[in-house]
Amino acid sequence: MSEAEAYAYDAEMRKANRAKAVAGRSVIFKIKRCDGPNKPSRWESFKVPIEEGANVISSLNWIAANPVTVDGKKTTPVVWESSCLEEVCGACTMLINGRVRQSCSCLINEYAPREGDVMTLEPMSKFPVIRDLWVDRARLFHNLTRIKAWVPIDGTYNMGPGPKESHDHQQMRYALSECMSCGCCLDACPQFTKQEDESKWDSSFIGAHAISQARYFNEHDTGKQLKADRMDALSGAGGINDCGNAQNCVKVCPKGIPLTESIGAIGRSATIHAIKQFFQGKK
Amino acid sequence: MSENADSMQTRHFLLRRLHSLTGIVPIGVFLIVHLTTNSTIAWGGLNTRAQSEGFGWMDRAIATFQHEVSFINNMPLLLLIEVTLWSAIGFHSILGVYYAISGKGNTGAYKYSSNFRYALQRITGYFGIFFIFYHVATLRWGWTWLVPGGTQWSHEAASSTFAAAIQGSTDGFTAVGFLVACFYFLGVSALVFHFANGLWTAAITWGITISRPAQKRWGVICAGLGAGLMLMAWASVIGFATLDYEQASAVEKTMHGEQIHLNTDEPTEAVTLTESKEIDG
Repeated sequence: MSEAEAYAYDAEMRKANRAKAVAGRSVIFKIKRCDGPNKPSRWESFKVPIEEGANVISSLNWIAANPVTVDGKKTTPVVWESSCLEEVCGACTMLINGRVRQSCSCLINEYAPREGDVMTLEPMSKFPVIRDLWVDRARLFHNLTRIKAWVPIDGTYNMGPGPKESHDHQQMRYALSECMSCGCCLDACPQFTKQEDESKWDSSFIGAHAISQARYFNEHDTGKQLKADRMDALSGAGGINDCGNAQNCVKVCPKGIPLTESIGAIGRSATIHAIKQFFQGKK
Repeated sequence: MSENADSMQTRHFLLRRLHSLTGIVPIGVFLIVHLTTNSTIAWGGLNTRAQSEGFGWMDRAIATFQHEVSFINNMPLLLLIEVTLWSAIGFHSILGVYYAISGKGNTGAYKYSSNFRYALQRITGYFGIFFIFYHVATLRWGWTWLVPGGTQWSHEAASSTFAAAIQGSTDGFTAVGFLVACFYFLGVSALVFHFANGLWTAAITWGITISRPAQKRWGVICAGLGAGLMLMAWASVIGFATLDYEQASAVEKTMHGEQIHLNTDEPTEAVTLTESKEIDG
């Protein structure tokens, strides 16, 4: 399925489900539970009455208030992380029916339209679980430091106003700026694998998220002062060359960021960087 | 950054990009040449210059293929070309496997065509290594114990001896021979896909195609090239799998007869020709 077809298929499926959603139904939530870091996982199911406009977070709220499984067994409330509830913070990212997305924007009507339909919730698969659906995404933020995802403005003199930027260039950068560091692109990536050993983070694949952010800051007129440092980091182990071009990243990105274009652009920068290094590099 | 980290970084970049490059030059370029040569068994009948007394379509194809193979075997520094290719394939294979095992496929959850191509690129890579090894070991290195009929391939009787190797005997298909023919069919298909898809991803790796429309356009070109090569690959395998050993052998004997006839006219040239053949194996 191509990208456009996948979008259309998903949108069609969700629209069809919305149309046939039964009012007053109950849906089974099959949730992968884990009591703490490195503890074993188990599945628990909960039967949740669905109100109009219910989403995964509101359903998790209902479960928190009624922590009883379908077998009538009393259990602990399910733990999850969420913040903005409008798909701009990325905190509530989890696997829903096996695929990564934000749970706040996930409407039950679009996924489980009939009485007794099952929805599975799992924590993200590439980050260590803290508890239940709550994961530690520290590596994702660490990767932003690898590529110095910031604009250097600290110094001994006033750098003055930035240079003028064309409308088209601004539009291109705006699309990249929409990244909320949710980690969907990493969870769906076959090359970005779980790495719990922090000492190996710097040599493990950095992922589409940081690659796209490197491009975003390389394209900034002041931010490009750090371009050589970023390209050094991205040319090394775990950098741009570790991408396998499965292109799942761009398809699961909730913000529709052109991640594969960023990968191509950083690939070009890496080629040019290497040629420059070969002919005029001092290292 | 320490010097050690610098050299690690340079080496990582170089190895990765060399892996990408070797897939195109020399391996991909060789694949195109190799399939062009081999598919003459299917279209060589068009070559009217291969015409000899009493020759039909298949005879001309056999003669054309034999002519190509003899040409290659008389090339100067053939062994150097071969060793270059074997090293490139070895390098591409070892690094390829190392890179492939660093990933973890997820086509079960994410059923996108690009994700299937990612998985297929790795599967065809593994299978391709196996196939190329069998192909080179049996035909070039003479490991006849791996050939179902135990027959030896000879560049002097290129069509007939290959037909025997792929059919299992000099007398048409045996059961094991049929399996070898199927193995060849799958092997060439895997490698053509691997090359065409690799050419598509290499353009992203090197930063040649960036925008989605550009990647799509280049994808159409790669698919076209892949389809063309696939046809040539299938034509080659089917051509040799259905070739009549006796007919091929007869054509090859006629050709060598002509060569001997030519050689007696110019004895000095005949000596050099024989010598070079012995060196190049």
